[in-house]
Amino acid sequence: MLGRLPIIRHDERRIIHLDMDAFYASVEEREHPEFVGRPLVIARDPRETRGKGVVTTANYVARQFGVHSAMPANQAAQLLAGEPVIWQPPNFTLYRAVSDQIHGIMHRVTEFIEPVALDEAYMDVTRRFPDWPQAVRAAAYLQRSIRQETRLTSSVGISYNKYLAKLASDYNKPFGRTIITPEAAPLFLDRLPIRKFQGVGEKTAPKLLAMGITTGEQLRALSLTQLTDAFGKFGYMLYRRVRGVDDRPVAYARERKSIGKERTFAPFLQSDEACTRRISALAAEVAELLQSKQRKGSTITLKMRDGDFVTETKRVTLAEPTQDAQRITTEALRLWEAYGTGMLAQGIRLLGVTVSGLVPVTMENLTLPLFGEPL
Amino acid sequence: MKFTINRDTFIKTLNDVSRAIATKTTIPILTGLKLDLTADQLTMTGSDADISIEASIPVTQDTAALQIAEPGSIVLPSRFFTEIVKRLPEKEMTITVTDTQQAVITSGQSEFTINGQISDEYPLLPEIAADHSLQLPADVLREVIAQTVIAVSTQDSRPILTGVHIVIHDGALLAVATDTHRLSQRVVRLDGAGDADYDINIPGRSLTELARTIPDTVATIDVRIAENQVLFRLGDTAFFSRLLEGNYPDTQRLLPTEHTTALTVAADAFQAAIERASLLSHESRNNVVRLVLTPEANTAVLSSTSPDVGTVQEEIAFKTLTGDTLDISFNPDYMKDALRVVGPSDVTMAFTSALRPFTIEPAEATSQFIQLITPIRTF
Repeated sequence: MLGRLPIIRHDERRIIHLDMDAFYASVEEREHPEFVGRPLVIARDPRETRGKGVVTTANYVARQFGVHSAMPANQAAQLLAGEPVIWQPPNFTLYRAVSDQIHGIMHRVTEFIEPVALDEAYMDVTRRFPDWPQAVRAAAYLQRSIRQETRLTSSVGISYNKYLAKLASDYNKPFGRTIITPEAAPLFLDRLPIRKFQGVGEKTAPKLLAMGITTGEQLRALSLTQLTDAFGKFGYMLYRRVRGVDDRPVAYARERKSIGKERTFAPFLQSDEACTRRISALAAEVAELLQSKQRKGSTITLKMRDGDFVTETKRVTLAEPTQDAQRITTEALRLWEAYGTGMLAQGIRLLGVTVSGLVPVTMENLTLPLFGEPL
Repeated sequence: MKFTINRDTFIKTLNDVSRAIATKTTIPILTGLKLDLTADQLTMTGSDADISIEASIPVTQDTAALQIAEPGSIVLPSRFFTEIVKRLPEKEMTITVTDTQQAVITSGQSEFTINGQISDEYPLLPEIAADHSLQLPADVLREVIAQTVIAVSTQDSRPILTGVHIVIHDGALLAVATDTHRLSQRVVRLDGAGDADYDINIPGRSLTELARTIPDTVATIDVRIAENQVLFRLGDTAFFSRLLEGNYPDTQRLLPTEHTTALTVAADAFQAAIERASLLSHESRNNVVRLVLTPEANTAVLSSTSPDVGTVQEEIAFKTLTGDTLDISFNPDYMKDALRVVGPSDVTMAFTSALRPFTIEPAEATSQFIQLITPIRTF
């Protein structure tokens, strides 16, 4: 049995959350001015894919019809029936290039950047902008510069931790700027509908509603035991979040844990020979990436998905990290022979090769020259 | 076939034989246990094609209380059979085999009937001529195995390195193993080996299982070596192993003959320090500890860093430290294994440079035991 859990609210940091407004759709609208004002869905036209495919994202016009990301493209088509819809397949090369440009702008403000996706990042500006008005000015500078240099709008949230900064950026979209100071946080959280708490979704929300909880204030009234009994670890997190507590650091320059490549095939691969060739090509690409990142890894993973969407991931761990294409290929093909060939009957729709357990290339356990190498 | 036997004695022998029984195999009958009953003994056989173990319980063994009603033989599914025998209620059990290859196992009020297979289908064990036989003290063999198998490679990329290289020549036995990052070599004098002359590679796994199988009661082990098999006789147990084909690389040239820095420490104290340092090295992806030796200042400092957790640094207590300053990094797990098999004595580590393998030897050169560890380059 535990007594009261002491909660200490650390509010000395200044965190900015930057979220691009309908990023992919906005980039497409910028590239194609004729799209503006019409419902734009980033997905392949379901008529071309025989109804397959999902919505990557949609512009604000399409969102007014209830279209949202991850929705089946078919369903979006029904919602937008009769509208002059534009279906645009995603162009990730372009989005990545624009994202890099935006990162360049963020780097003028701080080096402490944690990218979450191409269109979203946290920044810790505490060291450079310790006062609230300074931090707000930095956020405004980001929005202005991004707008001027990329012709895209973003929303920003400024607060003393990541959780509140994200809630803030989400509070007033698009092109919004919201600040939640430590003084304002309790009231902001009390009034927040529980649906808006990050992580409260399909599973948690109905449970909370059944408990009669609809606002942050009611959530805060629940005891730690009530929350952990109902939601386990997530309950503990909610207990802290509703009190404005989130000590997660901004994980800047997060080190990559793995380097991999995967590819989907249409039509599916039907022969051992075709799969072997593709795996070898993927392995070679991964080796090249490893070399460019100055990394080598000791775990090689082969991901295989067949026509029935059965997915297998098999891995092998070497005694020594490698970045050698030949070695990675050999190990990936061994995994293929052992586990993949049995999946061929359904056809192979996806193959992926990943190397993890990465270390810098400079770290090397030397080997004894056993096989004729010079001493 | 029908016999009654003391269950504890039976289980003890069954456990030994089970070590060899395959759980996965390309030859289905090898998942079974072969029972062979003659007028004067019960023989059990298990095999996974690499290792075969045959153990006998003679009718003369008092503790076994073996009563033979009718000789015969059968192969029984080992996993079920073992589970059944271990759970039977009484001290004794009786096994009766029917004409239809079913075994009826009874003990007290409990009776199991399980399906077996005809023993004629079980592979024959190799026949190894008795004319080349060699006697080894059991404790010496156990020690040699423990000291060398640690360095055996677990990677299949170089199959020969998964074995221990054994050379018997000039009245001495040399055993050496290496996984390319470390090497362990032990030499023992063989009294009465005569002009025996062998050069073989025994799979490391076979030796590990052999060491577990050698009973405390056996003092001398009879070893017979054939073309591609070796047989160890441990009392009533025969342990067969396949030999690895191929030539073991020349390891003698790798042993350094000189050094520039030498450190002598108490193995157990150094072991404890390495374990402390590896608490952090294990949290980092590299698993590296760093040893900085400064003979001028009379210090030896062991350290390790985990970016996530923190750092550890410890000044090592040593007996002697001589030579040049040295800053070397290595895998602490290799060092732990090396120190463990040296036992509670002082060890001397001899270094030549930060990028050269270093040696670990007992400080008192009572046994010819040398180990090599390669450093980790960190820059």
